[in-house]
Amino acid sequence: MTDRNASLAGTVAWITGSGRGMGRAHALVLAERGADIVINDVLKDEAEETAAAVKKLGRRVVLSHADVSDVAAVKKTAADAIAALGKIDILVNNAGIGQHKPLDELSEVDYDRMFAIHVKGAFFCAQSVIPGMKERRWGKIVNIASIWAMTGAGINKASHYCAAKAALLGLTKAWAKEFAPWNIHVNAVSPGGVLTEMPIKIQGWDKIREKEKKVPLGRWAKPEEISDTVAFLASHEADFITGQMISPNGGETIVGY
Amino acid sequence: MGNLTGKVALITGSGDGMGRAHALLMAERGADVVVNDIDGAKAEETAAAVRKLGRRVQVEICDVADVAAVKGMVGAGIKSLGRIDILVNNAGFGRRLQTLDIDEREFDLMFGVHVKGSFFCAQSVIPGMKERRWGKIVNISSIWGMTAAAVSPHYCAAKAALLGATKAWAKELAPWNIHVNAVAPGGVKSGGPLKFYTPEQLRARESHVPLQRYCEPREIAYAVAFLASPEADFITGQVLSPNGGETIVGF
Repeated sequence: MTDRNASLAGTVAWITGSGRGMGRAHALVLAERGADIVINDVLKDEAEETAAAVKKLGRRVVLSHADVSDVAAVKKTAADAIAALGKIDILVNNAGIGQHKPLDELSEVDYDRMFAIHVKGAFFCAQSVIPGMKERRWGKIVNIASIWAMTGAGINKASHYCAAKAALLGLTKAWAKEFAPWNIHVNAVSPGGVLTEMPIKIQGWDKIREKEKKVPLGRWAKPEEISDTVAFLASHEADFITGQMISPNGGETIVGY
Repeated sequence: MGNLTGKVALITGSGDGMGRAHALLMAERGADVVVNDIDGAKAEETAAAVRKLGRRVQVEICDVADVAAVKGMVGAGIKSLGRIDILVNNAGFGRRLQTLDIDEREFDLMFGVHVKGSFFCAQSVIPGMKERRWGKIVNISSIWGMTAAAVSPHYCAAKAALLGATKAWAKELAPWNIHVNAVAPGGVKSGGPLKFYTPEQLRARESHVPLQRYCEPREIAYAVAFLASPEADFITGQVLSPNGGETIVGF
């Protein structure tokens, strides 16, 4: 096995929230390495664009506009994808939203939406792909958490986001143990600063440049740099890695053991 | 060709076991290799295998605990291969001893190879990395560096020290775009486990790992090669533990 590193030839990957940003980068990087892709995003035009880019790479695509917080829609997406592509080997729980609000301004609606997309969505996506992974005795789940799951958000005030991302780390570790007997590997990626459309739009370049200065490496990442980590964990090269977290964060968050 | 094409990697303790696996995988991915070990015959075997892959090799027989020898090794490696872009601090050994059985010599030996050795290997390669504003240091720690064990306290403490150095260097060297990370292997079918356990004991140990197995040295090499590659250029100060789910730590 001396082909290119972290090959995903012959696999099928479901990437939630892959219409734009990091999710799109994951879809393209995994497709480049040989995976067929289930593209899933509520943003229809963006999802179509990702699909076209993946097809251009010569890979097969299934497109779903399901909201991951809608359990029935998630189950249908999984079933449709399996019918079309034969299986799902890799699930990347990437769909997410950001919201900056202090605790006293957070409504129940804010709270429910944050947890529904990040946690409930990831939970039932996983539940939908596990049976096939168990049958084939191989599968990969990569949960996209955040450095804020470890550190909190400080002045950015997003406690519901931090808690939801931390919940994903809890699921990662619990699932790693629950599904190890079937050789299913579950890991998390906790990105630091990433130059996606969302922070650029919300914060603007001036603020981002300020924040980049506080990162030891002096910069934020391109989305593709996070995807390389996701692709590594999704590959056979990481078959002895489960229940772990990798945080590409430029040295911004270095935690203790 | 691979994503380490044009790089030069110094891998300490690469005469056999995991170190040899790191050397071979990195060579497959395009790196030239400085092979270091205290065992000359084994180092030559690794070197021959690297050459067979079409890569250049410099063999350096020395004890990494000997600071002068380390400086000589790095100097010779740079002279012969042009530079060192990647340092894998892999040289090490295990010793099943309890606290009361560890004398000063044993203590010094353990910290000398694992910690002092890594420290001065790093010190020796850093100037060139700073000049080129790119470099990778991967320290091989252990799950016992995180969890410790009821034996080998000096080994556990030395492996924990490597995690400390990893995080400190990540911060110190970030301004020069030098990335420092640790790999903390769990059970690997090489070195210690093969030496210390009977096949029955090894299988019993494997049954306690969630994935129900120990891994091959090459599986650790995949993690090291990933961290040593440009694909991990935003990862620094982190610990990656391929351990089959045996050790899952909190944050």
